[in-house]
Amino acid sequence: MTDGPQPLIEARGLRLSLPDNARRGLWGPAPRIEILKGIDLAILRGESLGIVGESGSGKTTLGRTLLRLYRPTGGHLAFDGVDVTALDESDLAPLRRRAQFIFQDPLSSLNPRQRIRTILLQPLRAAGLLPASPPERRAAVAGLLQRVGLSPDLAGRFPHQLSGGQRQRVGIARAIALEPDFIVADEIVSGLDVSSQAQVLALLRRLREEMGLSLAFISHDLSVVRVLCDRVVVMLNGEIVEEGPCERVFAAPRHPYTRQLIEAIPLPDIDAGWLSAPAAGHSEERRHAMKIEGCTALVTGTSRGLGRLYVETLIRRGARKVYATARDTEAIRDLAERHPGVVEIMAIDITNQASVDAAAKDADDVELLINNAGVNNLQSLFAPDGFEAARADMECNYFGTLRMIRAFAPVLAANGGGAIINMLSILARVSLPLRSGLAASKAASLSMTQTARAVLARQGTHVLAVMPGVMDTDMERDYPPPKLDPQIVADAALDAIESGEEEIYPGDMAGGIAAGLSQDAKAVERDLAQYQ
Amino acid sequence: MTAVLDIRGLHLAIGGRHRPTPILRGVDLTIGVGEVHGLVGESGAGKSMVGRALLGILPGAAVIEEGRIDFLGRDMIRLSERERRRLLGREISLIPQDPMTALNPVRRIGAQVADVLRLHLGLNDRAAWTRVVELLDEVHIREPERVARRYPHELSGGMRQRVLIATAFACEPKLIVADEPTTALDVTVQRQILRLIREMQANHGTAILFITHDLGVVAKICGTISVIHGGRILEHGSTEAIFKRPTHPYTSALFAATPRYDRPGDQLRPVPATLLAELAREARALDEGRRPGAAGR
Repeated sequence: MTDGPQPLIEARGLRLSLPDNARRGLWGPAPRIEILKGIDLAILRGESLGIVGESGSGKTTLGRTLLRLYRPTGGHLAFDGVDVTALDESDLAPLRRRAQFIFQDPLSSLNPRQRIRTILLQPLRAAGLLPASPPERRAAVAGLLQRVGLSPDLAGRFPHQLSGGQRQRVGIARAIALEPDFIVADEIVSGLDVSSQAQVLALLRRLREEMGLSLAFISHDLSVVRVLCDRVVVMLNGEIVEEGPCERVFAAPRHPYTRQLIEAIPLPDIDAGWLSAPAAGHSEERRHAMKIEGCTALVTGTSRGLGRLYVETLIRRGARKVYATARDTEAIRDLAERHPGVVEIMAIDITNQASVDAAAKDADDVELLINNAGVNNLQSLFAPDGFEAARADMECNYFGTLRMIRAFAPVLAANGGGAIINMLSILARVSLPLRSGLAASKAASLSMTQTARAVLARQGTHVLAVMPGVMDTDMERDYPPPKLDPQIVADAALDAIESGEEEIYPGDMAGGIAAGLSQDAKAVERDLAQYQ
Repeated sequence: MTAVLDIRGLHLAIGGRHRPTPILRGVDLTIGVGEVHGLVGESGAGKSMVGRALLGILPGAAVIEEGRIDFLGRDMIRLSERERRRLLGREISLIPQDPMTALNPVRRIGAQVADVLRLHLGLNDRAAWTRVVELLDEVHIREPERVARRYPHELSGGMRQRVLIATAFACEPKLIVADEPTTALDVTVQRQILRLIREMQANHGTAILFITHDLGVVAKICGTISVIHGGRILEHGSTEAIFKRPTHPYTSALFAATPRYDRPGDQLRPVPATLLAELAREARALDEGRRPGAAGR
């Protein structure tokens, strides 16, 4: 923002966290919840910016923070070139006069015991601009009412005696009483009928032109934003996922979430396909399903067992390209030979940062990352070398997977979101005495998977945790049968990617344990303790 | 076409015996078997009152002055309280607007859905629970056994609305009154809920009276519509015909006032005051005809 006109409002990396009283314990402060996660935006003079998003996206909080009704916990906020990020209330007086708020619900934001006249004079009184003589005050009130298209006769009424549209216009009149430069309007037409809505929108347009007003128009209704605003920002989970001129954003949305929002608006046209388009999905969780056919995947640990099967299964399902990786490429050479042009082999040691970084640079077209590599040091918790074994399990299974996710998240984002499969084990949920190191590393990885899913949802990346029981692979050769055919696991995982599942427990053993855990976790723990 | 619901000349007023305020002024409305009929109007038009009169859940001060509500051969207005209770939830049910207040916050989801099954179908606890889980699965709630054990506050708005849809369809009713069922939801969730209502409706062959102010929603889900204003049905017919060529100027005015993201250049026109005055005059004339001297307020 160095060239061009100086914006009236400018936010840089704006952050806000508030105490989350819902999670407050008996003692101590409530944990803080981050609502705005680094917002960058600028509003020019006379410009109206639409702020859209669904409930919980942080749009109302953003509006309030732009007016410094909240003190940001990070970043910078400037109003007309002055940094107001950390100003005290007493120093904010000039801002308070020049920036106003119009509330969503006029009935609850207008004092029910005051007449419209008193309500409209309140801002003047607060600013010390109240006209001295009663006739002057009457004229001021009448002027304000006229400017918002209301009859001066309404001055003596109470809010409940007005219609919803009239009340909202009183809210607007109060906001413009001090001739502000900037107004934040929060969902101000969402409670109105289309007819009153059209009037209020026309009024806002007119006032904007007359007063050269800058407007931040917060709304969940994209059609309203489109007709009123010049630019729009789309918010999701406290971040701006897309920003641009309305014309461009509506014609060619770039972020999948923006596209989803626009497509969800029911236009008043008959369109039989609108409802039937995709089959009714499961619940309203936003899912990031992905097609295996035609995708580019990278699998770690393909020298044996499940890793190998993943490569074969991906190819059978029509993947365009598969990076088969292992510490030692010698062991996987045959995969490339069997599938020339589809399989590309690559050396990755997931315990080595340089190796992983190099891979992320080379394989920059990956859309599906399958974190399959792992070790299993069968070692009792209290064995003499148990400590080192546990550390080795953790180093590979937890830190190795984390390293891969950190390196490849930007690659996936650049390729439209994509997906990650983390191969865990039912031991992420329960432990066995002889596999404590493995269980601990998988439990840690499950926790990490959950965090990654929450964080990466914003960039459209789907993260799947696969928690099978013991499989019939080389790694598990010491374990007594019955063991699960790894092909079932590979198929289940790829199915889950296509349907957008988040956690799966392939096989009877894992499925049974998972069901048992939801019934009586302690009983499962006691049962499993017997397997030495 | 056999009608599930046939409302004829329904007049309803609120307030004192001497100067009642007319709310519905001779409403006629017919819904055929398996039809989704939209009742479209702005706030205060009387659209919710039609649904409430049908369900017999009118506010205390409201009086049905005249007319007939025929539901599958039964006169809903003259039904005894006992008969009405037997019908509600079983043959007619409701999908309400606010999914939060419609559920009891201190009872588990499953128990609330099971209520209608035990009451109307006489299922025992075990059978009712099995059916609850099936119903929750049918409305695409994942892990229905787990959700059935949760409390309303643990579910999102969309999930709660799914639960209410499951409840509404639980006894295979012939008619469902859906009163602004998606107004409180985010747009992406609204689309999923509309899809679900459409899917359930098609699978069960249920007729729906879909009450809404949103022309967009009507266009997507209703086969026929009635446009209501000032307690009068101004226009009715197939959604397609009315969207193609509205015959009443008020319907056209509603379209002209609705913003569309695909036509940002259109001038949004509020419903003209002259048209509203004309409609009010017509309504007054109607009231005057029915109750000479009382109208004119």
